Amino acid sequence: MKLSTKGRYGLRGLVDIAAYGEDEIVSLAQTARRQKLSLNYLEQVFGMLRRGGIVIGVKGVNGGFKLACDMDEITVRDVLEVLEGEFSIVDRNEEDRQDSVQAALETLLWDEIDRKVNSFLEERTLGSLVREYRRNI
Amino acid sequence: MKISTKGKYALEIAVDLAVHSDQEHRESLKNIARRRGLSEKYLERIVKMLCSAGIVSGARGVRGGYCLSRDAENITVLEVLRASEGELAPVECLIREPDCGIVCGECPTRGVWFEMWEIIKDTAGKITVSDIAKKSADM
Repeated sequence: MKLSTKGRYGLRGLVDIAAYGEDEIVSLAQTARRQKLSLNYLEQVFGMLRRGGIVIGVKGVNGGFKLACDMDEITVRDVLEVLEGEFSIVDRNEEDRQDSVQAALETLLWDEIDRKVNSFLEERTLGSLVREYRRNI
Repeated sequence: MKISTKGKYALEIAVDLAVHSDQEHRESLKNIARRRGLSEKYLERIVKMLCSAGIVSGARGVRGGYCLSRDAENITVLEVLRASEGELAPVECLIREPDCGIVCGECPTRGVWFEMWEIIKDTAGKITVSDIAKKSADM
């Protein structure tokens, strides 16, 4: 039960460009160096974030990325949905016929975990992660 | 990040035992397998995990079979998932030495993954095998 590297590294890279860039363009090479991530991989992930409307990309010598809107308006849920899809603790297979035990597990357990995790991810903004990061470094 | 079929089946087995067995009337793998529509072999592997975690107890012989080792009200879903799935951590570095090259104290995202893990554990820790069994009887 793990998040993929897309979600993990994408969010890490995003906190980095928000923390160091403010409203300026940050080069991904610097982010890759600071966060010890592969530049090639970060570029792929930031391509997804750009298509998902989370960041704006600027080409050229001084190119790079910046957030598409205020960091307090971007939730962790927004970011993870672009990179990983909607969070769910189990695979939801609508066609599976459920018996009463499986239906009870779904109602009492899986739905409950998904609801709580998703509302947590929605409350946590990129801004809150950035402020926490600044305190820690 | 998903709970695999192992964890799902472990819960189904625990609920099945809560409904169909007790210390005096143990249940056979064959009957559980039939009701759950699972192969006996696969089921046996999962039951073994539940036995070593002290959730299920097994006995050999004519009156042999399996039952829960405690009342179903005292077994949480979290215990069953831990025995079958492991720690339920959304990222590996919460439970093992990280290999990402940065210091955990300076990691921009560790806090959010940790809180997510706490929510998952907290939710699963508040629901018991008995809650699921009761709910399934109403459905």
